Amino acid sequence: MLRIRMHGRGGQGIKTAGQILGSAAFLAGFQAQDFPLYGAERRGAPVTSFTRVSPEPVLERGPIGIPDLLLIADATLLESVRPVPLNGADESTTIFINSSLAPETLQQYYQLPSLPVGLNLIPLCRHYLKKANLYSSALASVGARLMGSIDMGFLLEAVEIELEQQGLAEKQIEHNKELAQKVFESLTSVNLQERERTVIKAGSLALLEPRLAADSAPIILAAGNMALRKTGNWRVDRPEIDYKRCNQCLICYARCPEGAISVQESGSPEIDYEHCKGCMICAEECPGNVIQTVSETEDGS
Amino acid sequence: MSAITSNYKKIKDLNPHESLSAGTSLCAGCGGLEGLRLALKELGDDVIICNAAGCMTLLSVYPFTPLRGSWLYTTMGGPVPAAQGVRDALDIRIQQGDMPESENLQVMVLAGDGSSNDMGMGPTSSAIHRKLDFIYFCYDNEAYGNTGFQLSAASPFGGATQTAPSTGLHPAGAELPKKDLFEIWRAQNPTYIATVSPREPIDLANKFAKAKLMKGPRLFICLSPCPTGWGFDPKETHLIAKLARDTGIFPLKEFFEGKVMHNKVPRKRVPVERYLERQKRFQHLFIPVRQEETLAQIQSRVDAYWSQYE
Repeated sequence: MLRIRMHGRGGQGIKTAGQILGSAAFLAGFQAQDFPLYGAERRGAPVTSFTRVSPEPVLERGPIGIPDLLLIADATLLESVRPVPLNGADESTTIFINSSLAPETLQQYYQLPSLPVGLNLIPLCRHYLKKANLYSSALASVGARLMGSIDMGFLLEAVEIELEQQGLAEKQIEHNKELAQKVFESLTSVNLQERERTVIKAGSLALLEPRLAADSAPIILAAGNMALRKTGNWRVDRPEIDYKRCNQCLICYARCPEGAISVQESGSPEIDYEHCKGCMICAEECPGNVIQTVSETEDGS
Repeated sequence: MSAITSNYKKIKDLNPHESLSAGTSLCAGCGGLEGLRLALKELGDDVIICNAAGCMTLLSVYPFTPLRGSWLYTTMGGPVPAAQGVRDALDIRIQQGDMPESENLQVMVLAGDGSSNDMGMGPTSSAIHRKLDFIYFCYDNEAYGNTGFQLSAASPFGGATQTAPSTGLHPAGAELPKKDLFEIWRAQNPTYIATVSPREPIDLANKFAKAKLMKGPRLFICLSPCPTGWGFDPKETHLIAKLARDTGIFPLKEFFEGKVMHNKVPRKRVPVERYLERQKRFQHLFIPVRQEETLAQIQSRVDAYWSQYE
């Protein structure tokens, strides 16, 4: 059984990528299982999806702790505290990173246990889908290609099935298939190694003493400490204010749902990049168009 | 209404203080969060929020809170009984001299449209009947957004949700009209009702400035464009909110002392299609074939609403 884990962010199509890969494997005659994992967080927050592929019935359940193939759609995740995309990976794990950088550079920079496979999906997605960060078909294609046991025909059929179910227009599905084909042809398969599993023994049952609600309820006594959590790495695009042309109308400040734009003493708006989630409302709403949209991932890493 | 006048005319007049800190896990571009942020700018820190389970559950993730005021988390049907308990406790403590009047807090229920229209409605009706002194802030994203956008009683006719998708048998998606929460509350003659939009910060701030000085049940219905559930790019949240107003789909209005008053009435209403066509939840009304009858019904319901006032 091959265990494949994908990492990306909400809105990038990571869940769909896992589904497409699972369907492609199924069409190719394998048994397959796919499911995503995300917390209470939303668009822009880390998302993981899992696909298990086997010629035998897949009886294993739960998240994949030790992946044979790791597909990382968003390299910025490698620098975030959680989730830890490299968890469970060792020198036998095949790692794919969506990046324009050379494999040697990636390995050194991120201290990867093995030399990764790299391909920059951003220009491809932009070319075929007109969106730089929608990886569903592209990432599934990477997975299918690296596995080597799924023909392109099955992959394209799976793209069609899954995207049709999501209500995509025929034309969009066609563009996705073209993208999947292009990605498939840009890579070669690798010799995936299936690692030995060790059964983890359950620990002894922890018994908790009953306590009064006053002791045991989650009470927070701090005020406004949520700001300690940084959401800046949710960003796909970054808004940048051109101060030379800004007339301090403060529409951006009024419209920012995060309250991540403050007004400086000078009267100028200032963006808090530690928290800005990159919704780009400010750039859209700025009456003078003086807030530019700059891609965070344009140059790979 | 003459005694309470509007104070704010421009963005610079808004309270610069943020009672809601950044860092929450809510979706980028959340219209409801923006509405809440603007409301709390006006209400300040001396508020205790009774929060029904819903999207705003994500405000506080232990051990973090974005609020400088207090927050009490409740079940989806229970925020109003919680508000009653909190209000009573505050009143009793002040009355018994345990707490100075100056430390009194504004009690505010924060609930989504599912809680407000469905399971929380019974206790709410009872609380309005008892003239409970509280503010009710309903962020209306027209579905159970937090769990993946399932149909609520506030989901609009013709919109698709997870549990009411467009199918061969039910091409329109949701087939029932949205419940009219404003009118349901109005039937019980509360102190104040207002609809607000995150796109109209001045209008919103003025309404909260008025309401915070009043006593009794006060309802705010906040249009909450939802990029995730409605299906549009997060940057278009305010554009969608603007179209909701300009098409007349979401009227900005107030109820006070027995009268309904409209604010920011669109001079010439934009066809509803301009609003619908930008959202994935209404896509089936246009693709693969235009559902002329459904579109005409949506338009005629909006026209019928405004004909009462024009």
